[in-house]
Amino acid sequence: MALDPAGMIRGVANGEAGALRRLYDAQGSRLFGVAMAILRDRDAAADALHDAVVKIAARAAQFDPARGEGGAWLAAIVRNAALDLARARGRETPTDDPALGDTAVAPEALDRICETQEAGRLRDCLNTLEARNREGILLAFVHGLSHAQIAARLDMPLGTVKAWIRRGLARLKGCLA
Amino acid sequence: MIPSDPEALDALAAEHVLGTLDARQAAEVNRALPVDTALREAVARWEARLAPLAGLATPVPPPEGLWNRIEASVAKRSPAPVVPLRPVPGRAAPARPNTLWKAWSAGATAIAAGLAAFLVMRPAEPPRMMTVLLTSRDQPAWLVEAEGGGLRLASLNPRPVEAGRVQQLWALPPGATAPTSLGLIPEGGQARIAPGLIRPEPGMLIEITLEPLGGSPTGRPTGPILFIGRLSPANGT
Repeated sequence: MALDPAGMIRGVANGEAGALRRLYDAQGSRLFGVAMAILRDRDAAADALHDAVVKIAARAAQFDPARGEGGAWLAAIVRNAALDLARARGRETPTDDPALGDTAVAPEALDRICETQEAGRLRDCLNTLEARNREGILLAFVHGLSHAQIAARLDMPLGTVKAWIRRGLARLKGCLA
Repeated sequence: MIPSDPEALDALAAEHVLGTLDARQAAEVNRALPVDTALREAVARWEARLAPLAGLATPVPPPEGLWNRIEASVAKRSPAPVVPLRPVPGRAAPARPNTLWKAWSAGATAIAAGLAAFLVMRPAEPPRMMTVLLTSRDQPAWLVEAEGGGLRLASLNPRPVEAGRVQQLWALPPGATAPTSLGLIPEGGQARIAPGLIRPEPGMLIEITLEPLGGSPTGRPTGPILFIGRLSPANGT
């Protein structure tokens, strides 16, 4: 009975009894956390996780372990479901929450994610970016903030934020290559 | 518009994964993903690059009762129509794709004839219905047999599906205007459609189309028809 995400996804794909429940029990808190960080509303995050798990059940057979890690595949589906919901709500998610992002964008936060070599490299590359640029990218990815929301939060012109993020991503890509 | 310039395409993929595209742009990317290989690969690479950042979200236990809701939705939405079957005894294991292609045209017809004869000769209570799905070049590809109110499929020619695509099975009863999805065809070349989704009847069109991962997003076939056939009484020919 595999407990790694890839093994659990395979169990779901094979139609094993209870496989989806095992996956939900093992990954639910992590995935609900991903949806909560984006939506900051328990009901909305529950809707997103619901939609995502239904999708995971339907698409488990399409997961290809050669193309990526199981946990990342699950998180990507949850992020997309949460972002779709955030967009459908006009991204009217509260962004004036003083606690928003503090844990995710704190300088030491990135140290929490470097359990793997890839994560360590990503952290090192992010650390080569200017602090505000890094913060913008993290606010977008972790908290689902739009360009406009990031601009408001960092008190910068919208056009500047857009250009910064685009440039920051290009630099990340070069750094990770 | 999805740019054709590789650099612009990659930038679009990056912002899609980052989540900063607006609703219109995101919908456009989602529509293009199933059919645009370059875009799909760029998105996959960005997902791999940024995946560790998902670890920055603090885990939160999901609300009580959410599992029950999910379970109900999954049960309702997945008719579990297509499940892998055990290999038919006596059939050779699927050959590697390359060798298979070569052996295919020579062997497929003979296998189809043999399987068909085997099915027809089996003692059967209800009137048997079957068809052989043909490719666009009239090569036999799948044997389909009505069974216990459902359908049973056996590939005569297991072939790998194009990367990033799936095969989706459809049925169009005589007189119907839109086909019913019977689900995605699993790898392995064998499938069974549980009774209840459709009632197999003579003249029913059965087809397999090539669709994006997860199946047709519209509920109607969107990709090319790979294989098609019409159910008919097995002893009527």
